Amino acid sequence: MRKLLLSLSLLAPSSALAQAKAGWGNVGQEEPKGFSWTDPLWPDFWMAWTPATLAVFVGIFSAIALIGVLEVVKFRDGIERRGVLGLSTTLGDRLFITLLGSAYIFLAWLGLVGQPVWTPLFLSIGWGVFVFWKV
Amino acid sequence: MRTENQKAWFFVLPVLALVAFNALVPMMTVVNYSVQETFGNNQFFWEGLGWFEQILRSDRFQAALGRQFLFTALILMIEVPLGIIVALSMPRKGFWVPVCLVLMALPMLIPWNVVGSMWNIFTLPKIGLLGYFLNDVLGINYDMTQQPLSAWITIVVMDVWHWTSLVVLLCYAGLVSIPDAYYQAAKIDGASPWSVFRYIQLPKMKTVLTIAVLLRFMDSFNIYTEPFVLTGGGPGNSTTLLSIDLVKIALGQFDLGPAAAMSLIYFAITLLVSWVFYTLMTKDDAQ
Repeated sequence: MRKLLLSLSLLAPSSALAQAKAGWGNVGQEEPKGFSWTDPLWPDFWMAWTPATLAVFVGIFSAIALIGVLEVVKFRDGIERRGVLGLSTTLGDRLFITLLGSAYIFLAWLGLVGQPVWTPLFLSIGWGVFVFWKV
Repeated sequence: MRTENQKAWFFVLPVLALVAFNALVPMMTVVNYSVQETFGNNQFFWEGLGWFEQILRSDRFQAALGRQFLFTALILMIEVPLGIIVALSMPRKGFWVPVCLVLMALPMLIPWNVVGSMWNIFTLPKIGLLGYFLNDVLGINYDMTQQPLSAWITIVVMDVWHWTSLVVLLCYAGLVSIPDAYYQAAKIDGASPWSVFRYIQLPKMKTVLTIAVLLRFMDSFNIYTEPFVLTGGGPGNSTTLLSIDLVKIALGQFDLGPAAAMSLIYFAITLLVSWVFYTLMTKDDAQ
């Protein structure tokens, strides 16, 4: 019994010393979190931005800017043309039709089929290509 | 060489800033909310496109949307022809012109919530002038607080009373701008009143009529205050239009995610219908 107590009293500090020597590694540390598209970008901010939604708006605004630059620099006054739908459209009109049509493709898919939305994504890209090419 | 003065853009900047703050920032916030869930305190959790799926498939949304389309269709079918008829029968010259114009403009000067309260008091079955008259003098069973049909008739008549003037004034402006020579030519040719209307007046009114139809569509599709004050969406859910339902979800239930998804769907519908209207009505001009 005495022996046991003695060995225990020796054992406890030695294990603590060993642990201290080895270091605590990542115990008790916050794990470094990887980038996530869906986490809040600025926590507690009321606009609730996430990288995903920010990317959507950056995409839309850069498309508008690109069209604007193209209309000013390359195609003066927007090169109106009449397409297969019988509408006279400029580049900006075609972007609008593409975006609005894509919104409806996604909504229709979500309402009728559901997630995931890969198929409507490809449908929308196809729709955009068709609009810029033919409409 | 052609020189261009680009100074005008600087004058537009304040408007752009204003639009950015009162339209773009709220719009972007709504998009952010529509893919997240919150329990308040600005804590947000990713939800993805689930709210859109839920809203699009809910019976409640589909019913409200149906009521909204019915309301807007009724409004357009009544107000546009009525507005044209009133504008055609208004005098073009003389003492009565300003009188008519002021009378026409009066309903539009009354704020929406006041219109709702006025019609509420006017049509209440026991104390309202119209309600009392219909029930106790004519013996018609009318109670807009209990019967869906009465409630519908009341909100449609209220909107017609409030907004037909807009169509009238726009059409009248179009009619006044037609030179006398057109009418003289029609008279020489012995044109019937219908032909005068069909081939002179209607084409000349087309631009203003486009604006009138667009404004009436957007306003009636987004209507909130008047039916909310008049019926509160009742009896039951019978006059719960889309905007009333939206406010119930957003502020009554504090379901900001579904409400945001619903408002984006609502926005997409308004945008598409307005664009189609505008494109169809201006298509012939471009040719």
